[in-house]
Amino acid sequence: MNEIINACFEAIHLLITLDPEVMEITLRTLYISLTSTVIAALIAVPLGGYIHFRKFRGKRTLVNIIQTLYSMPTVLVGLLVFLIISNQGPLGNLHLLFTPGGMIMGQTILVLPIITGFTILALSGVKDEIKDLSLALGASEFQAIETIMHEAKYALLGALILGFGRAISEVGVAMMIGGNIRGYTRVITTTMSLETSKGNVELSIALGIILLILALIINLVLNYVQEK
Amino acid sequence: MNLLEIQKLSKQYEEKDVLKDINLSLKKGKTLGLIGPTGCGKTTLLRIIDLIETPSSGRIIFNGQEIPKTKEEQIKIRRKMGMVFQKPIVLKGTVYDNIGYGLKIRGKNKEFYHDEIKYLLDSLGLSGYEERDASTLSGGETQRMALARALVTDPELLLLDEPTANLDPQSTEKIEDFIGKLRGERKTTVIIATHNLIQGQHLSDEIAILNQKIFQIGEPEDVFRKPKNRFVAEFVGVKNVKKGISHIVEEGLALIDTGTITVYSSTALEGKVYLSIRPEDITISQSKVETSALNEFNGEIKEIKDSGGILDLKIDVGEVFSVFMTRKSFADMGLTIGSQVWLQFKASAVNVFEV
Repeated sequence: MNEIINACFEAIHLLITLDPEVMEITLRTLYISLTSTVIAALIAVPLGGYIHFRKFRGKRTLVNIIQTLYSMPTVLVGLLVFLIISNQGPLGNLHLLFTPGGMIMGQTILVLPIITGFTILALSGVKDEIKDLSLALGASEFQAIETIMHEAKYALLGALILGFGRAISEVGVAMMIGGNIRGYTRVITTTMSLETSKGNVELSIALGIILLILALIINLVLNYVQEK
Repeated sequence: MNLLEIQKLSKQYEEKDVLKDINLSLKKGKTLGLIGPTGCGKTTLLRIIDLIETPSSGRIIFNGQEIPKTKEEQIKIRRKMGMVFQKPIVLKGTVYDNIGYGLKIRGKNKEFYHDEIKYLLDSLGLSGYEERDASTLSGGETQRMALARALVTDPELLLLDEPTANLDPQSTEKIEDFIGKLRGERKTTVIIATHNLIQGQHLSDEIAILNQKIFQIGEPEDVFRKPKNRFVAEFVGVKNVKKGISHIVEEGLALIDTGTITVYSSTALEGKVYLSIRPEDITISQSKVETSALNEFNGEIKEIKDSGGILDLKIDVGEVFSVFMTRKSFADMGLTIGSQVWLQFKASAVNVFEV
């Protein structure tokens, strides 16, 4: 018990003194996960919009598949991306394996379904009458879609935050694609995994606290946004 | 000049007729009341006019121009119209944002229209509401805001779909007053869909009785006094509708046999017909009188209903007629159930329409 308490004090010390390694890992984690989320959002929001606004056969099945992919195991995505970007894979010549670029690619794939699915959900939450109203007030089809997006903006932001939450907290892709290389691809979750197995729990606890704080901030923002 | 003309317009949903052979025209500056029961196609017709929905067949001519096929061209025409929906809808943002929406999407600067927006808010009893969050308004306030939102772009044609349905009487009155003002001051051409006969009659230059097709269109007074068919007669609440066979006895005079009585009418219709007589056009006396009225029948009072000061008597003269009478006349004459009375009405008071 004492060990845990001591480790907690040590962790707080690392945080207060802004330990360079802790800060570096945190910033890299934020960089990789934020970039993945932004890239995923650029693909997923228009894609979700397209699926929502178009009528086509198999739409329901497609939405079901997307929803199933929310719970895709991170190690499975890791494996998939590994096979694609390893030297023998189709994108092997890009040399993305064990680089932050490869991690970004993996996390992007991981959060794409969540953001797409929640974009569809966000847009379905806007009443059909909003489209009629904007058309009746003189909007073009495109302007009407813009208006619907605007009506759904808080729910859309919620979708992005959820995607970011999944990216920052996952370990499978980061470990398998990043390789946990110190000073290059090491992120919070992979560090915690490694340091705990080495018995260096102070660093793990410090990083765990940071991860929790980030999760708290995400939740606070989400709550604030949804209250609006 | 006609602002709007509709020719042979029909609409089907999944092979079910919603609108059939609609023909109407509306002059600039006039108000048309589209009146019919719930589900009669009023909303669909307004949506088609506003180019939100496409008709299955038929033509729409706006300002002398047939509605173009491409969406890009249609927007230009839609932007000359404004519509208020039955259900109050708000866009996210303030009241000012909501009202300015139509200006924004037309690429106009809301700030230039500040005075107009203020004028509209003042006229609709929403002074000082500019910065209020639109989602916090009551149903009546939202609907008044919706009117301002539709009017700020100064539409040539304003479409109102049951604008006061589900509103409290005070909000209804405010909206009705404003629509009245629109007709008087702005000369806006308006189509107002309503199931409320009194409102339609009160606010419109012409009314169209709609139930999938237009059963009658004309000045309110004409439609109310002279319904052309049974649907309109029943819808406008005409009483004393009887079926009979008409034959002309001389020019301008027909005799209609209902099977139990024969009634004189100034109709020119022959054959199977319906006739109706407004209860207020029938007079009652206790003995036979010499009057100019061609129709006089003797009968017995079967039922007396008090409908707010006016008594509605059911009198059986072979056919049962409903006759209105003030409480005072009723007391003066000393009538009661079972009293024998005479009914008189003019041939010109007998409205006749085809079966």
